[in-house]
Amino acid sequence: MRNKGRVLAAASAVFALAVTAACGSGDDTPKTQEVKPEFNAALTSVFNPSDKPGGTLKMAISSDWDSVDPGDTYYGLSWNLVRLYGRSLVMFKPVPGSGSSELVPDLADSLGVPSDGGKTWTYKLRAGVKFEDGTPITSKDVKYGVMRSMDKEVLVNGYTYFNDTLALEADYKGPFKDKAADTKAIETPDDQTIVFHLKQAFGGFDYFAMLPATVPVPAAKDTGVKYKEHVVASGPYMFDTYEAGKGFTLKRNPNWDKATDPNRKALPDAYDVKIGLNADDIDNQLISGDLHVDIAGTGVQPAALPKVLQNNDIKAYADNPAVARLWYTSINPKVAPFDKKECREAVMYAMDRTSYQAAFGGEFAGGQIATSIMPPQIPGYAPTDIYPAGADKKGDLDKAKAALQACGKPDGFDVTMGFRAERPKEKATAEAFQQALARVGIKVTLKGFPTGDYFSLYAGKPSYRNSPSTGLGLMTNGWGADWNDGFGFLSQIVDSRVIRDSGGSSNLSVMLPEVDALIDQAVAETDVKKREALWAQVDKRVMEEAVILPGVWAKALTLRGKGATNVFVNEAFGQYDYLSMGVAQ
Amino acid sequence: MATRTDTSAPEATKVPAKAIEGRSLGRIAWTRLKRDKAAMAGGITVILLIFMAVFAPLIVGWFGHPPNEFHQDNALLAAELGGLPRGDFLFFENSGISGDFLFGLEPQNGRDLFSEVVYGARVSLLIAFLATLVSVLIGSTMGVIAGFFGGIVDTVISFLMNVFLAFPLLLFAIALVGVLPDKAFGLSGNSLRIALLIFIIGFFNWPYIARIVRGQTLSLREREFVDAARSLGARGPYIIVKEMLPNLVAPILVYATLLIPTNILFEAALSFLGVGVQRQVVGEPGVTWGGLLSDAARNSVVHFMFFPGMAIFITVLAFNLFGDGLRDALDPKSKR
Amino acid sequence: MAGPAGLECPAGPAAQAEIVVTFFIRRTIGAVLMLFVVSIATFLIFFGLPRLAGATPETFAARYLSRTADAHAQQVFAEKLGFYDPLWMQYGRWIKAIFVGTDYDYGTGIEHCAAPCFGYSFRTNHAVWTDLLDRMPVTVSLTVGASILWLVTGVGVGVLSALRKGSFFDRAAMTGALAGVSLPPYFTGLMFLYFFSYQFDLTAPGGTYVDFTDNPGEWAYSLILPWITLAMLNAAAYARFTRAGMLDTMGEDFIRTARAKGLHERVVVTKHGLRAALTPIITIFGLDVGLLLGGAILTESTFGLKGLGYFAIDAIGKQDFPQIMGVTMFAAFFVVVANLIVDMLYAVVDPRVRLS
Repeated sequence: MRNKGRVLAAASAVFALAVTAACGSGDDTPKTQEVKPEFNAALTSVFNPSDKPGGTLKMAISSDWDSVDPGDTYYGLSWNLVRLYGRSLVMFKPVPGSGSSELVPDLADSLGVPSDGGKTWTYKLRAGVKFEDGTPITSKDVKYGVMRSMDKEVLVNGYTYFNDTLALEADYKGPFKDKAADTKAIETPDDQTIVFHLKQAFGGFDYFAMLPATVPVPAAKDTGVKYKEHVVASGPYMFDTYEAGKGFTLKRNPNWDKATDPNRKALPDAYDVKIGLNADDIDNQLISGDLHVDIAGTGVQPAALPKVLQNNDIKAYADNPAVARLWYTSINPKVAPFDKKECREAVMYAMDRTSYQAAFGGEFAGGQIATSIMPPQIPGYAPTDIYPAGADKKGDLDKAKAALQACGKPDGFDVTMGFRAERPKEKATAEAFQQALARVGIKVTLKGFPTGDYFSLYAGKPSYRNSPSTGLGLMTNGWGADWNDGFGFLSQIVDSRVIRDSGGSSNLSVMLPEVDALIDQAVAETDVKKREALWAQVDKRVMEEAVILPGVWAKALTLRGKGATNVFVNEAFGQYDYLSMGVAQ
Repeated sequence: MATRTDTSAPEATKVPAKAIEGRSLGRIAWTRLKRDKAAMAGGITVILLIFMAVFAPLIVGWFGHPPNEFHQDNALLAAELGGLPRGDFLFFENSGISGDFLFGLEPQNGRDLFSEVVYGARVSLLIAFLATLVSVLIGSTMGVIAGFFGGIVDTVISFLMNVFLAFPLLLFAIALVGVLPDKAFGLSGNSLRIALLIFIIGFFNWPYIARIVRGQTLSLREREFVDAARSLGARGPYIIVKEMLPNLVAPILVYATLLIPTNILFEAALSFLGVGVQRQVVGEPGVTWGGLLSDAARNSVVHFMFFPGMAIFITVLAFNLFGDGLRDALDPKSKR
Repeated sequence: MAGPAGLECPAGPAAQAEIVVTFFIRRTIGAVLMLFVVSIATFLIFFGLPRLAGATPETFAARYLSRTADAHAQQVFAEKLGFYDPLWMQYGRWIKAIFVGTDYDYGTGIEHCAAPCFGYSFRTNHAVWTDLLDRMPVTVSLTVGASILWLVTGVGVGVLSALRKGSFFDRAAMTGALAGVSLPPYFTGLMFLYFFSYQFDLTAPGGTYVDFTDNPGEWAYSLILPWITLAMLNAAAYARFTRAGMLDTMGEDFIRTARAKGLHERVVVTKHGLRAALTPIITIFGLDVGLLLGGAILTESTFGLKGLGYFAIDAIGKQDFPQIMGVTMFAAFFVVVANLIVDMLYAVVDPRVRLS
């Protein structure tokens, strides 16, 4: 640690050279800060506010994400980034604090107008919005973007919200199979108007209109899976260079008009995104100021953790945002003896919650010990703790033993626990289970699976996880909100109807008709307060069934690079707002 | 094979083997071996390591804590530092090394690193010994057959050896472990995994032994006593078993000893890459040195890398020293 | 056959040349045959073995699709990728693509994968060949630097040890060499990184790589630790071979003759001794370099260098079969070619080699 200054100097020299070589702009060295940095300064307010345009914002990430194609991406960081070059119908307000949960119109000139009891949603586009080549953006481009995104055989990443809710014709094939394909489910009566017709009323459709799939795509320029190499910009920036797996640069889009866009500041002149840097090196470069942001948004590596927490100068540039993500363990009621509720409860009581937290890196890097499924930042969150783990949070062994007695296994039982082998934190979680449950005689056998196949072939496949020979009683799992509301967080993990025989669903253990009914009720509910209360009820009901053992509500210890201005955490993403950041001039 | 060099090439293959003669060789060799201090040191270390593996529960009982046991008290692990152990020792910052924890603690879960390292010897040595046995069985058989019968048999076996040597071995091993089911041959869990690793490591290494044995057989075939046996009407199998095998024992022994450290490195490499034996069942540690190193690599805590790494190093070095000495002792022509 | 009819050729050299040519042809055929066998074995391991372990065409296809893909999509993809065809047919298609290229239908159009087409990864939407070429510079840089380092130090130490046999230097060097071959590269690499990069900040942190063409200085700076790590292993081994080889040759008759002729000791050592001792070293060197060009898996993964070895591990982790097949064949190709080159050089350089 003594020689950190020199490390950083050396590292910055390397990086400066690399940057110069790469883009020939060597004069954007950050100047000294005016604002006094502080721990968590960007958490609920804007750190180092600025309106000065110019400079290159330097971003990096250690591993690539699915795609930059707005119709083919399912990563929070990507949704955060897409807003730089693409405009969806509506967006989360880019402000610090809870204000970011508010949806505001982006490409549309107002939020969606429901009719037919919430089965039809109409949006009107702003006038004068253009693609990077100057062509005016019409509602047909938005419709095409949504239509192409629904073909999961071509654009395999991403959600199926539109597929599931739009009133599509039975023989609808999509634009990739049939160039002339069309559907009445989305109508474009004129160039400015787009109308969505749903199968059933859905009160929260504006959340769908926020999805990057509603970013307009010109049909003539669509090259399917290759579109990511030439995304046509509708936002303030367009792609300058793109190298698959290595990074890209964005430059200003001359055809973006600030007058049409009340939400974006568009401060930097350019963005330089490097993909595949060493994760530890990214931390070092953030500390030295050679990088502005690690766009993964998952926090510093274990190697940098003590450095950040022990050194106040570095800690002052750190924030500890909560992410709307739960790390949890599914308890499979289809595997004996978990078919008996009391046996599941024994696990709930016997688990040491602090060791779960430690497996994820402790309070700062891991997160807060969770007592229910829905994270606190989801509107409607109601604190519940049905299985208190004692004052020290190390589990309530007496209650666990009583539950074992009640389920007819007073001496415990054997169970197999699956986890993703390439995820050290999940491996540590599984080992923590093994230790904690052994205290009451539950013998856990661990089984690691290849990460890429975990949901599609093993834990996510009912025939595998429920089979008597390969049955998995416990399975590590994790879920991040698609957006911060009850539906965005809960629908994919507690609705039994998302479970498919072909595998792939994240819901591994919740199969309760009562919960499904509650979800339907919540979806159709148009009153926000009532809807939120219903989601809280869903949360509680699932907890009572003891099929999900919540671990931690995730937090990340992130660093804001020196020289970045206008930095704040957007709670919608649990990450810095990449749209608003600028560079000190 | 690419990876072979990466994990240190077995020298056995590169040193030309020489025919070993004399009947009272055993005694002469023992005398020579006793005089070779390095080899004796290696040999003693090997014996100690075997003891350590066999009596791991006792040793851990005296000097450590039960394997796999978590020690997460805030007094031992600093929660405010994300679970790093408290306490420095020499240049081992945040190691938690103390009289109670000789090698310090593992970050976050607080397992006793000393116990882990001691138990790690079990998997490592078990796999290395048995894999070597597999290699020796296949290699000697193939080598003798190729060398003794020559002609088309020799050509085919030699071609096969070259094919094996052209495989990216480590890649294959990783892929194989990943592809295979978790229940087979009446085994499951770690037992299956260990059996699989023994087979894979042993199976891919046979050409090294086969090459040596083939060379030895070729030269033995031309020797007088074999000719004599043949002229007396002895047939192939008899000559192989009665006349040649006794003469092949010494070189096979030497190269087997030298193959063990290579196999230790190989097993550690697989564990390091995450496809080795796993911790699966309570009370059955399944900890490996390579696995510890790979966990350590993610944490960047130096004591966590140092002790498992040194365990591999010392074990491999001990076998190499002993194997080298054995070769020198058994082969009067080799020089040191 | 002494040349075209009517022309008189001196029998000796022509026969000799013919033998050499025949030898070359035979060896080349052998090498091709070997690659063929390797390719079949590789294919069986990745496409045959999983079948025995319960994989179906649909589970293969599932790997190319998103988690949300339903059974229908899996069937469509399995059909599209030919997973329903018998294994030999899939293998035939794979081999054919290497020679003449092939077309892949990825939904919006036909993607042509030109020869040599080592498959097309539907996970990354890239031809495997372009990815391999992309990773080559890292692996080549690593191999070239490390091999020079270990050749020079290994042979140097070996020669000195042999000349001063029994001296303190000899014993220290040989003990060091034995320790060197006993060190796993991932352990040395990790310790080097910890101390030299993170404690004493003398070297680049892990995962850094700068292209040679961008900045040769930075290139060397970023690779120095991996070079040393990789070189240590082989330098130790080479020191031992060289020493043994030198001791053997220095005892031979032609050396004594050279000394008897009154040649200077230095000339005896370098011109006669070293030359004879080095020939087998060069053979081994050729093979080792061939092996490493296929990817130094452990060194690359320890230092996070994105070369072929890292690529291979990554591909296995993601179960991206076209990539795994491609990189395995690529690696085998280097080994076989290195073998061939060494064989041929030997035949040319050393006339005593048995041209059989």
